[in-house]
Amino acid sequence: MMAHNNIFKSGYSNWQIIALTVLRVLIGWHFLYEGLYKVISPAWSSRSYLESSTGPFATVFRSLAETDALLQVADFLNIWGLVLIGFCLFIGLFSKISAYLGMILLFFYYISFPPFGDSYSFAYVDGNYWIVNRNLIEIVSLFILIVFPSSHITGLDRFIFKTNRTGSKID
Amino acid sequence: MKLHRRDFLKGAVAIPFLGAFALGAEKNIRKQVEANIIDYNARLKIDKLNAPYEKLTAPTGKDGKKIRVGLVGNGWQGEKLLQKLGYLHPDEIEKHTKNGVESQWLQDVRAQENFNVEVTGICDVFDVHSERGIEISKNCVLSGTNNNNNPAKFYESYRDMIRDNNLDAIIIATPDFTHAPIAIDAANAGLHVYIEKPMAHSIDDAVELKKTIKKTGVVLQVGHQNRQQMSYKISREIYQRGLLGDVTQVETFTNRNTLFGAWIRDDAFDHKLGNKDNINWEEYLYNRPWEEFDIKRFFSWQRYSEYGTWSAGNDFAHWYDCVNQILDLGIPESVVAIGGQYHYKTHGDMPDVFNAVFNYPDRGLSMTYDATLKNGNFRQSRILGSEANLDIDSAIRMSKDRNSQLYKDIRLPSDDHLYYYEPQMDIDAISTATSRAYFRGGYGPTYIDGRIIDVTFLQVKEWIDAIRGVGQPSCDIDKGFEESVTFNMANLAYVHKKNVTWDSVNERVIIG
Repeated sequence: MMAHNNIFKSGYSNWQIIALTVLRVLIGWHFLYEGLYKVISPAWSSRSYLESSTGPFATVFRSLAETDALLQVADFLNIWGLVLIGFCLFIGLFSKISAYLGMILLFFYYISFPPFGDSYSFAYVDGNYWIVNRNLIEIVSLFILIVFPSSHITGLDRFIFKTNRTGSKID
Repeated sequence: MKLHRRDFLKGAVAIPFLGAFALGAEKNIRKQVEANIIDYNARLKIDKLNAPYEKLTAPTGKDGKKIRVGLVGNGWQGEKLLQKLGYLHPDEIEKHTKNGVESQWLQDVRAQENFNVEVTGICDVFDVHSERGIEISKNCVLSGTNNNNNPAKFYESYRDMIRDNNLDAIIIATPDFTHAPIAIDAANAGLHVYIEKPMAHSIDDAVELKKTIKKTGVVLQVGHQNRQQMSYKISREIYQRGLLGDVTQVETFTNRNTLFGAWIRDDAFDHKLGNKDNINWEEYLYNRPWEEFDIKRFFSWQRYSEYGTWSAGNDFAHWYDCVNQILDLGIPESVVAIGGQYHYKTHGDMPDVFNAVFNYPDRGLSMTYDATLKNGNFRQSRILGSEANLDIDSAIRMSKDRNSQLYKDIRLPSDDHLYYYEPQMDIDAISTATSRAYFRGGYGPTYIDGRIIDVTFLQVKEWIDAIRGVGQPSCDIDKGFEESVTFNMANLAYVHKKNVTWDSVNERVIIG
């Protein structure tokens, strides 16, 4: 009967799985709300945000903002990326790939207004940052969620991915 | 693998939270979106403003008779006015064409409404400018026309041009002192008149011109293009609907801090090309006391009271017409003024510091004009009412008075306005710092009927349409008269160091 024991030893303590799950759900909530806001808000566009970008890639972002076709694609990917990544992280579905994609998306936010101290625009920011800002912290938080997965235990991935008896995911 | 209930519970632990999120998120998002949309009409307690919905007048060119136009004075403004008619100098076309591709500006000029006018006469006492004028008259760049027009006829004197039976209308862009005399001559010959601001160099000129225009009935438009700027039209509606309360103070300003800004222009533009041999000095002097040829008196004429009208006529006249458009102030009962020439002492008698106060007891208000040529920080005109303040240029910032009764219950964040208007512009179209300042003064483009159009263009269009019997000029002889009398009273008050009063019955000033 031990073979059918449903309590898997995941290698985490109870508090650890709770902490990782809460972090995953909160980041999912954050992305999902941000994405839904842009879906519902009339005529949202990242145009003014991109046009005021700073840092080494500012010209790239500005030309993206000024090319209508590219801007439409960027806005679409941004909005639905946020929604899907947020949704998936929230319920723990395909969390690993969602976390990777979330890191990439946040990286774009980070690099369009990098807090490098020189031509730093304070227009979209409250607080004082140098190199490390909230985007960077969230990027690393997602990385933690990748190396310490929780969705195979407390997410729908549990029903999708096979797990061995110790609760480690089999990719 | 058998699915045990505990497995399912653990795997689905986030679902109930997602449910809670779903219930609240949409409502919260809508609340946030609402909060970001500012309903100015609700703040002002009106249903809606009408001014922004004004429609453009349909073109009168196609079905109308061709209008032959002559230009006297092809300087900086003269060439601009020709451009509004669709004519450009070949080197402007060249400047705006790179590798065969025309710039957006040039494309926009080509797309301008065709007024069906022809430039048939050019008169300028400076050969370089008159030659440019002739060249320009050959190049109508409007789409649908060919670039090869007959050149306009050149006239040494405006008198010849008026009498030649070659014109239906005249544009006057000469130095101020000949504005009214040329207009009077032209009107008496039956020509319609577009006269640059300020309308008249003296009150006597203004009185004479008004009499002539009323008698001859020709269509006269003064070049105060603020009349076409949407911000001033909206401001007028705001005032007329009582949204400012009782207005008691009107403030206007001049801030300049460069040689060019102080109207010292000997070396500006192509002026270095001028000399005794290519300037018809006698013709230029008109009826003014004889002076030996002096390049300063030709190119920096604004600075000399014989030829120009100082900052009151050059700059205040503009702000005056803007506030007159909003408030219908008319001519003040009396004016006092002080100031002096302390800094720019090499060119003429223009004061660098000038302050005038205009008394309107029947309106319960006074107007001020504060001018300096040694400080360049733009101050926009302000109208102070008992309920709210209006700061105006091409944009409008309306802030509520701290003791307002009308808006007592309107709560605003500290940096927010009761009403804010900004014309919908492509900000990229305004490039340099100087053009930004020009634009802030209510010059440049405006937004009307869903389009972005230059206000000088609209002012000219209105004149042309009125000549064809459609509509009326916004800055007609009565408005021009008010402008000229008002600013001249200020200059007289300064010169005589006395209170100057307007006798409206006899149409003359009383000094002291």
